[in-house]
Amino acid sequence: MQRDAARRRVMEAPALGAPPVPRVPRPERWTLSNGLRVVAVPRAAIPQVALRLAVPVGSAADPAQYPGTAGMVAALLTEGTLALDAEALNARIDALGASVSAHAGHDHSEVEMTLLAGTLDEGIPLLAELATRPAFPEDETERVRAEALDALEARTDEPANVADDRLLAEVFGADHPYGHPVFGTAEGVGSVPRAALEAFHRESFRPLGAYLVAAGDFDPAELRAVLERAFGGWTGRAPGVVYPPAPERPARAGERVALPWEDSAQGEVRIGGVGLPRRSPDWIPAAVANYVLGGSTILGRLGANLREDKGWTYGVRSGFSAGLEPGGWSAETAVAGEATSDAVREMLAEIRRMTEEPVPEEELRRAKDALVLSLPRAFETPGRVASRFSTLEAYHLPHDYWERFPDRIAAVTPDEVLRVCRAYLDPARLVTVTVGGE
Amino acid sequence: MTRFSVPSIRIPFRQHLLGNGMRVIAHEDHGAPIVAVHLMYHAGSRHERPGRTGLAHLLEHLMFEGSEHAPKGAFDDLLERAGGTNNGSTWLDRTNYYEVVPSHAVELALWLERDRMAHFLPVLGEEMLELQRGVVINERKQHYENRPYGMADERLGQLLFPGEHPYGWPTIGYIPDLEAITLEDARTFYRTYYTPSNSVLVFAGDVAADDAFALAERYYGDLPAGPALPANGAAPSPAPGHRRETLPDRVSFPRVYRAWDVPAYGTPDWVALDVLAYLLGDGDSSRLQRALVRDGRIAQETDTYLYPTELRAVFGAVATARSGVPAEALEETLHRTIGEVAAGSATEEEVTAALRRVRRDQVADLATVEGRAEALAYAATVLGGAERLDEVMEAYARVTPEDVARVAAEHLRPEAGATVVVAPAGEEARDAA
Repeated sequence: MQRDAARRRVMEAPALGAPPVPRVPRPERWTLSNGLRVVAVPRAAIPQVALRLAVPVGSAADPAQYPGTAGMVAALLTEGTLALDAEALNARIDALGASVSAHAGHDHSEVEMTLLAGTLDEGIPLLAELATRPAFPEDETERVRAEALDALEARTDEPANVADDRLLAEVFGADHPYGHPVFGTAEGVGSVPRAALEAFHRESFRPLGAYLVAAGDFDPAELRAVLERAFGGWTGRAPGVVYPPAPERPARAGERVALPWEDSAQGEVRIGGVGLPRRSPDWIPAAVANYVLGGSTILGRLGANLREDKGWTYGVRSGFSAGLEPGGWSAETAVAGEATSDAVREMLAEIRRMTEEPVPEEELRRAKDALVLSLPRAFETPGRVASRFSTLEAYHLPHDYWERFPDRIAAVTPDEVLRVCRAYLDPARLVTVTVGGE
Repeated sequence: MTRFSVPSIRIPFRQHLLGNGMRVIAHEDHGAPIVAVHLMYHAGSRHERPGRTGLAHLLEHLMFEGSEHAPKGAFDDLLERAGGTNNGSTWLDRTNYYEVVPSHAVELALWLERDRMAHFLPVLGEEMLELQRGVVINERKQHYENRPYGMADERLGQLLFPGEHPYGWPTIGYIPDLEAITLEDARTFYRTYYTPSNSVLVFAGDVAADDAFALAERYYGDLPAGPALPANGAAPSPAPGHRRETLPDRVSFPRVYRAWDVPAYGTPDWVALDVLAYLLGDGDSSRLQRALVRDGRIAQETDTYLYPTELRAVFGAVATARSGVPAEALEETLHRTIGEVAAGSATEEEVTAALRRVRRDQVADLATVEGRAEALAYAATVLGGAERLDEVMEAYARVTPEDVARVAAEHLRPEAGATVVVAPAGEEARDAA
């Protein structure tokens, strides 16, 4: 086959012209008469409408004795309303070819709905009905509770989950809401009374402070009218959630917490620490820094070392978590069991290198180009567009955030990257969790 | 609600055949300045031989380790710098390689694919084989062995396609086989299958079709066609009878995996089975959600699926037991529910609603240029032509409640197919004692 190859013409790598200028859509924004903020991004290319309705109250507002309340409330939104029992509600959603999912995060509770184009006038009233008038029927509540308890038990069957949950606890501690998984505890889910679920919903799901993002194939004037009709009778303001201060660093920073796992096929590795709020001006340089380190699973420094050089893992990546308060930063991988300690050492060495030497210009440019030139893909579908603009509403970012994003990324310097790495990624501020392996 | 209120989805495209047999397809969409370049080889794990399972997928990994003029790292580096992404995947019938790039970087993607189609073997060496062997063995451990219920699908495939049926082994491969694969195995598979005449190249997005065809001529037109390959033989007939097995695992709840081998992707029965899969398992009002989860309250969750595969397809149903519920109760309800549909209880409204949910997912799958490129490439590869995709999409509108009942009765019989029950290891030991 050497002969074959020799016969084949060698072509020069093509010279690329100027890249297309990234364009991002500019939404229409308005406020309903009840104060609900609306962000609408119409584009008819795909016969679909993606909707996201969120309130700024999540598991951080769980009653102390009932961890998991916000998650249970979200799960029960689709289990029956004052006007429609669960069976009728589900039949209506399924007959439209719609999909609905509701979930809680630490900071928000959110309902996502996807509609086929042309079904807005039937779909939006259902969205309003389930988000604003859920009935928490006794029967369905007990079924959802039993399923949630089973899911909590099943969760601990998987070493990756055990590692994720333990890392949160180690980074933020028991006194901060970010230290607890959103799905709560068996005690909390098992004991939270229906009345507490109803009260959580009644107080949290209010239009002032909430937002709705719509993207896809619709007419904005029609959307405006349908929303006003469907949500017009909804009133009030969601409460502000008070967070305790985030810990300066994990209690066991600099240490490794090794959890045994009998006969594990791999070692799960998590390294994490306290990061920064999504709104922080450092978020942009931090995103560039993280991209260099582990945002790209193959080309990032962690992937280049553990996967491409050592062959220890299928993948390794790192990232900052978005939050109203300082969220976490973590790097995660699963490696051949016997390589677990070596992998921890190599990862910490790569992280430390980020805090000791400026990233070379060339490596930095590649990360910046990748972040900016991939923007058109980040806005390709209604679902992605809705997600990008939800981020702005959720974390109170400026309306022109995405338009200015390319210039802000371009302006990041090696010194800034070094500064944010020292601030957030110093290994002395990080804790390591391993599950299984050696 | 009218029956045809959800029109079929059409992806307009043009085709061009290179002299060496490479099929080129172009779908224009100038909505965003991006292009998906998708290269699919008609080579998957079913083209391997027993003892060398996992070879097709391991070769896919090796293809990212560099070629003569784009050494290791260059592939990802050049694309990422240009704002592109790339990946590859291997399944039973095909292997694909794809890039999604800003429209100025289409030629870069073509050049990189050309280099590994024409100038790969000289760089294929022991060191990269050993490295990627390690990565793949870790992929197997991460995704299957170290995951609860992770080994169920592998066992189900073995039971459903016993003997040396080419769908009987998992695409990831068995560890002893992965350890045994040699450089010569990889070279032979590459020379046999990674050829222009065994491939389809799709452009989807912000590129004019004529430009796409000219670029395809320029980057691939001079490459030799490659050896002729034997046509598909007749699909081996399904094994008779129902095979059932219990697999102990470190899990808290039993889970039932029920599957049948059914007519191949694109056949009229396959389309009706797809509607049936939605009617049974998609959405909270679907039959199995109600019988097992919502009304029956014996399962935490349930789902159905249908593989779009070439020789035969697989229809599957999965359910996880609630606390204290034995697997047998799930199996009984599953069979009873399917039996009710087979007896003709599905209504016109139910079928129409299922069709709408099918369309919802098709719209979502085809929302990206990447998704459209893959759908066209896949139809061209396993159905024999991209134009077959329109026919399959349109066939859904003709599915009637009678069709749904008939395919349930004919293909999902309780005395056929295979069942794997994954059971908590402790309970299994107690049962045995």
